[in-house]
Amino acid sequence: MTRTAAPTVAGIGTVPNGTYSIPERDLALRVVQEALEDASLELSAVDGMYLPAPRPWTPQGFFSTYLLHLLGLDVDRSVEVSTGGTSGANAFHSAVSDIRDGTVETALVLAVERNSIVETTGPYFDYILKSFDTEFESPIGMTVPAAYAQSMQRYLYEYGIARRDLADIVVKNRTNGVANPDGLFDESLSQDDVLDARLISDPIRLFDCPAPCDGAVAILLTTAANNESDFPQILVQGTGYHHTASHFLRSRETSITELPAVRTAVDTATERAGVSIPEIDVFEPYAPFPHIEAIVTEELGLVERGCGVTACLEGQTAPDGPFPISPSGGCLGRGHPPMVTPLLNYVAAVKQLRGTASTQIPDVERVLTTAEHGHVNGVTATVFGTEV
Amino acid sequence: MEPYTRPFWESLRDGTFLIHACESCDERFFPPSPICPHCHSTDVDWSETDGVGTLYSFTRTHATAEPFDNELVIGTVELADGPKLLAPIDASYSSLEIGDDVRIMSREYDVDYDRGWLDTYPFFVARPVTN
Repeated sequence: MTRTAAPTVAGIGTVPNGTYSIPERDLALRVVQEALEDASLELSAVDGMYLPAPRPWTPQGFFSTYLLHLLGLDVDRSVEVSTGGTSGANAFHSAVSDIRDGTVETALVLAVERNSIVETTGPYFDYILKSFDTEFESPIGMTVPAAYAQSMQRYLYEYGIARRDLADIVVKNRTNGVANPDGLFDESLSQDDVLDARLISDPIRLFDCPAPCDGAVAILLTTAANNESDFPQILVQGTGYHHTASHFLRSRETSITELPAVRTAVDTATERAGVSIPEIDVFEPYAPFPHIEAIVTEELGLVERGCGVTACLEGQTAPDGPFPISPSGGCLGRGHPPMVTPLLNYVAAVKQLRGTASTQIPDVERVLTTAEHGHVNGVTATVFGTEV
Repeated sequence: MEPYTRPFWESLRDGTFLIHACESCDERFFPPSPICPHCHSTDVDWSETDGVGTLYSFTRTHATAEPFDNELVIGTVELADGPKLLAPIDASYSSLEIGDDVRIMSREYDVDYDRGWLDTYPFFVARPVTN
């Protein structure tokens, strides 16, 4: 197969995170139209479609086939990915690979999700329960926060971190998220708001959790030669993926306070991009709980192990700090439709590189994003940059 | 074919907690599987454990799926024999600390949750060991 030019981002389309009473179809069509307009591309240019498999409660099944008919699109690749929170990212990476090897020229990557239509005490919990070991863990009554609560508890214990200090990561991300017009929230939080909120799974409280919501994003990828965008070319410079031999909290060799999949996926992505971590200007990780952002900061090598919380307290991860983390708000500050969140991180990266981000970091040339599933068992890493 | 894990549940009925031992690399592991996750040998066998271990971490839930109590105390136990596993903890949340000595024991399963073919078998629980 002939290798073609590196993939570039031609256009983006989003709806603000929130609650929508219209079908997923209509959200999808809206962001697709917006992305095409942003890219100055005709729909007929699209020859590949990539999306996370809709969640079990989505009324419309066979979603990609349904959408291809509706759009009148003949494509050379149509992919629905189901890998939990990395689904959108793995769909995006599949599109990147297909453009790199010439399978398609212009890829539509799309994610749409409505969490407002699922009862969180019924079908949602049933779906979550089945993601644990159905024989040895589900009968306990496990929840996702109950998994992350244990790694938070262990992280505080191993490094002697005060629970109070962790709240600063939530406060920082919420402040960034409030400034984001696509975010879910209008009000910032104080440290006391975070610490006084109702308990979800000790020691995790409400605002330590990413708020489920509805959302949709479309991203058009194409070759540099086909890219007719008015903006400077934004390249997908490197991608990486790694899954450790772990399942939620079950890890054999490493502590649950380490996330080796982040380290390995990021190493691959930066190596492919030909950059090092100090050359990255902005980080947009998928960090669903505050201690996970702290540990990701450590896994990136930005600080020593156990110092991720201090980095936030000292303002190092703030928009004006030396290594800004989640200036978009991330899933904690922006709201969290999990299938869409990886693409929201990509949109945040693109906006930083275009100079149009809600919380813009000056002179951005490279952005690194991650996505994860399970208890960060599997991780994608993606480097975006403006250099051709 | 029989479910591979049936001997575990049959033994648990008699109060014995089984894990797996690899004859090739000598590692102990859980859950049981015919392939050693450490060296990929198939030379594996059941191994009895006294269930003694320490509390590696723990939490208390406040919202769960419908058949369960909202407040559940759940922890990760690191067995003295090696493997770590999730278990319900038979103790109040406030009484627990990481590093506490605990022991995994058999307990009747009384939640109205569909465990399929395991519905007539007991489950297990971790209880603090008092010296």
